[in-house]
Amino acid sequence: MERKLRIGGLLYALVLTLFTVYVLLDTFVIARVETQVPSTPQISTTPTNVPNEGPVISDEGPDTPKITDRTYRDRNISITLTEYREHDTDIYVAEIKIASADYLKTAFAKNAYGRNIKETTSDMAENNGAILAINGDYYGSRQKGYVLRNGILYRMDGDPKRQDLMIGKDGDFRIYSEANVSANMLSSFDAWQVFSFGPALLQEGQISVDKNAEVDQATTSNPRTAIAQVGELHYLMVVSDGRTDRSEGLSLYQLATFLQTLGASTAYNLDGGGSSTMWFNGNVINQPVNHGSEVSERKVSDIVYIGY
Amino acid sequence: MTLSTSAIEKKATRLALIYLLISVLCALFGCIYEHFSHGVYSYHMIYAFAYPLVGGTLPALWAVVFGCKRPPAALPRLLYHCGIATFTVGSIITAVLEIYGTSSPLTTCYWAVAMLLTLSSVVLHLSPRRRS
Repeated sequence: MERKLRIGGLLYALVLTLFTVYVLLDTFVIARVETQVPSTPQISTTPTNVPNEGPVISDEGPDTPKITDRTYRDRNISITLTEYREHDTDIYVAEIKIASADYLKTAFAKNAYGRNIKETTSDMAENNGAILAINGDYYGSRQKGYVLRNGILYRMDGDPKRQDLMIGKDGDFRIYSEANVSANMLSSFDAWQVFSFGPALLQEGQISVDKNAEVDQATTSNPRTAIAQVGELHYLMVVSDGRTDRSEGLSLYQLATFLQTLGASTAYNLDGGGSSTMWFNGNVINQPVNHGSEVSERKVSDIVYIGY
Repeated sequence: MTLSTSAIEKKATRLALIYLLISVLCALFGCIYEHFSHGVYSYHMIYAFAYPLVGGTLPALWAVVFGCKRPPAALPRLLYHCGIATFTVGSIITAVLEIYGTSSPLTTCYWAVAMLLTLSSVVLHLSPRRRS
């Protein structure tokens, strides 16, 4: 009897181990494609209430952009990269002016919506012909939280704890809580992009995080990624380094204060830590950290980018 | 088979020490994991050591100190050990996912199975035994 029970115990230990391995594989490795995104945008994804060709930002046409290592200018898109050093941290800011919200796009890893589908920000940016890209909200690491990209709703399961950023088809930023807005209501808002990460850093020019605010159960400064609106079709994409000898990282409050000094009216925190990456015209601009403090790009679910 | 009081005490002491060792290993693992998690914490990791400590060491110590008139039979004992193991592993895995910033519906299986095993062991232990 004792021997049989001992064998039973060993068998249970084996089952427990195998189940645990499966849980880890299912969470981190096994890719599940739920929707394949068409490689060319569908008509329904095009913003309808803004003209495709907006005001001329510079004299150059889209076919003859003027590009330097820190700037990009053509008829519809103007990007200027500036590097700052605040709170012992390198911060990279891309100031963007676009003629239409059409050019503020998002992309999924491998052009597929699902779980554990990942690519580096660089690869996604290159595959989608981006001019500038930052990592998105890493929707694939969570079971809940609205996912609406380029006008298409992919995930309707809300997370009441999440504060979302909605970019309307007019290009304006709006902050709301998923507890108060159902997925069906998003279409009535003319949502173009929705990010479910947060929290909001600035609302109507005022800082909306307190000094101790952090993402979920984090407690320390980290690399950060944020997106902000300054004015009509005028945005900032911000990535700050951290977890390195050179850069300590920013708290959410420090990031919010920094964005306020740059004149942002609405700002939103995207996935940070090892995910934080800014890519411009073929190069990674910041020092992304992965696997502890190793400088390398992490594979993520999605990017926000500027491009045609 | 009936064990003498000294044999029961010896077994219980051994069990208490094994569970104590597991608790210490869990606490150590939690400390190391939290150290490298860039300030992201999880209560499931911090308190994973409590399952073997409260569920294993303390009852065994109780048996050593106050004696055990009716030691559990082999099957309830096995179910109980499996339950405590499932609670501990479930806690650590839930913590790993939380610290990464993700979750999985599968982790609820740990809690359900652990509860089932522990409760059934208690029920079996408390139910009247058949005389062979």
